[in-house]
Amino acid sequence: MRRIGIWIAVGGLLLGTAACGGGDGGGSAPKAQSLSVGFVAEPANLDFTSTEGAAIPQALLVNVYEGLVKLDQEGRIVPLLAEKWEISDDRKTYTFTLRDNVTFSSGAPFTADDVVFSLDRVKSDWKLKIKSQLDVVDKVEKKDDTTAVVTLKQPSNGFLYSMTTRLGAMFSRTGVSDLANKPVGTGPYVLGSWRRGDSVQLDANPSYWGTKPPLSSITLKYFKDATAMNNALLTGGIDVISSVQAPESLQQFADPNRFEVIEGTTNGEVVLSMNNARPPFDDKKVRQAVRHAIDHKALLDTAWAGRGGLIGSMVPPTDPWYEDRTGDYPYDPAKAKQLLGGRTYNVKMRIPNLPYAVSSAQVVKSQLAQVGITAEIEPLEFPARWLDQVFTKGDYDLSIINHVEPRDMGIFADESYYFGYNNPEFGELLASADRGTEQEQSDDLKQAAKLLSEDAAADWLFLFPNLIVAKKGVTGLPKNAISESFDFTALAKQ
Amino acid sequence: MRGRANAGLVAGGALVGLVVLTAVASFFWTPHDPTLVDAARKLREPGGGYLLGADKFGRDTFSQLMVGARTTLYVGVVAVGIAAALGVPLGVIAGMTPRGWLSELIMRVNDLVFAFPALLLAVMLGAVYGAGTLTAMIAIGVATVPAFARVARAATLQVMVTDYVLAARAAGRRRPAIAVRHVLPNIGSMLIVQASVSFAIAILAEAALSFLGFGTRPPTPSWGRMLQESQELLFSTPRLALWPGLAIALAVLGFNLLGDGLRDHLDPKLRRVEER
Repeated sequence: MRRIGIWIAVGGLLLGTAACGGGDGGGSAPKAQSLSVGFVAEPANLDFTSTEGAAIPQALLVNVYEGLVKLDQEGRIVPLLAEKWEISDDRKTYTFTLRDNVTFSSGAPFTADDVVFSLDRVKSDWKLKIKSQLDVVDKVEKKDDTTAVVTLKQPSNGFLYSMTTRLGAMFSRTGVSDLANKPVGTGPYVLGSWRRGDSVQLDANPSYWGTKPPLSSITLKYFKDATAMNNALLTGGIDVISSVQAPESLQQFADPNRFEVIEGTTNGEVVLSMNNARPPFDDKKVRQAVRHAIDHKALLDTAWAGRGGLIGSMVPPTDPWYEDRTGDYPYDPAKAKQLLGGRTYNVKMRIPNLPYAVSSAQVVKSQLAQVGITAEIEPLEFPARWLDQVFTKGDYDLSIINHVEPRDMGIFADESYYFGYNNPEFGELLASADRGTEQEQSDDLKQAAKLLSEDAAADWLFLFPNLIVAKKGVTGLPKNAISESFDFTALAKQ
Repeated sequence: MRGRANAGLVAGGALVGLVVLTAVASFFWTPHDPTLVDAARKLREPGGGYLLGADKFGRDTFSQLMVGARTTLYVGVVAVGIAAALGVPLGVIAGMTPRGWLSELIMRVNDLVFAFPALLLAVMLGAVYGAGTLTAMIAIGVATVPAFARVARAATLQVMVTDYVLAARAAGRRRPAIAVRHVLPNIGSMLIVQASVSFAIAILAEAALSFLGFGTRPPTPSWGRMLQESQELLFSTPRLALWPGLAIALAVLGFNLLGDGLRDHLDPKLRRVEER
């Protein structure tokens, strides 16, 4: 028994240093022309037409599958498989002129027939919720081999943007029999091998139509634990960390002779959701008090090492209609107390058990306590339990989640969404934005973002940063994570 | 033999006493509010009223350690309490009816629970009923029941064949009376030893659960969560992991030394050997 006792005691110390071990020693030294990139979430399978989850398009879109258009690093829509496109005067007909030298990795040529096939297939076979974004499409026709015509039911500013997402990916008519395991696309890379639970290897596509990729292969290695991924980079198991989940640990990579830290932006708004549908947050004054009570700068500095940006509404700076709304509710505890009028509240803060949420919640709790709101933090297992309790059943007062979807302000227009926000004026602004001209769209969306902020429909804690760490000499990494894919096309090693 | 047992007993008692004193003191006084976030004090170096410095939220490490001791003891007492309250009666019943079907049933169910890892049970309960100190305590407690039942049964079997129990049975004493009057007082010393060891295991389990995010809810200080939160700062500010790690190690060591010391001190067999 004495020996057991000692080992248990040692266990306490080991727990303290567990972060030192656990590095993944499995990765062999990469060959000259290949790179290995660490990711957090592994795809469940490789079929993003039937399986939800950001990990699949992150790995495959633009790299293996290509669309007619894609999003560049500044958020502009640029040509990909379509050389150019024309929009009719009534903004209902899009005529795409296709590149004529494109083949699928199976060898089949890419023609307008594949465009018709792929877009029709979204309606007939896709199983994702987001496929409704293409409901606006009336019909897709082939004019000749290199010309495809898309007709919309009504003008839509969102259509072309949706075409940059996975919804616009082009599939071969003969290549969709086993999407979950054998993706067939036109991209610069093809699937090499997939070791489930460990890694996906992409090999260069020798018959790629465009500029050939500089690397012969890329390995996407998956880590559940942020510290394990850090250690893998330190010990040479991987060359790139695609997304740092523990920003304080960046100091480990401070040596500029060994590592390069890239900080860009994302579409991820870390939202402090307030349940607008039930007391006390059905009262606009209480919500406004919360926004005044939080020192966002201090929160970002402590909870996320000061990485990321401050935002005041549901629009990231990379969207064309962004306006700085951080001044709407400056940090002012006295004002918050005045809005509460001496009342005090006890509320439930039910958060996902994710690092940024648990960190932010402790700061929010401490700051709300200063103005008389006592928040009890309850971390829920993510995704299953949080989705069930908070997102689906709406059983919460406060929550914290990073809303990563691009251009997702529309979720506030849905009263049944877990925010419970209901303002018909907001819904009208969004509808009119999608119908209107580009200028009208921008004006309406600015107005909508302002309305959200003034109504204090939620509080926006910070804009999630895109933090990449790479070994020195790795070039061509996408600085901003504003599309659904992690673009490998320019990735190279010096 | 005796001197060594005493040394362990004294050292263990001192360490446990230190943890208990710290926990009690934390109710009346801590240097700073252990949960107050202050960006201006972020990662403050030790000194100037902040004995052990501050963490990335600007919270005073020493105050957190003090309140963390409270959490640790709280979990230990309740978990061991649950385990003893369920395990001891079951073990005594099984020990007093060694060939009965009831004994068989109790011990087989016992084996079943014993085969299930405590941490896994706690993680499961945490996922289903929500993570928190209470679920952690219940899970650790339930998983520790078999240990108590086994010790109680083995000890009861020994006591049941002694002359005084035979005499009591011959005199027509009923079983519950024998259990309370003769069995429990005589197996008490072994149960105390078991409780002390289980306490150490419960402390470690709570720390592990909090480390994994299934234990004490933030921001209530807990040594395990302090470790977890300092993980990303291990290279830049190792002291943040050092202090809670040391606290856990010393508390666990203390309870183990105390258990070993008590065993040597209380075990009648060992005592007899020495007396000869």
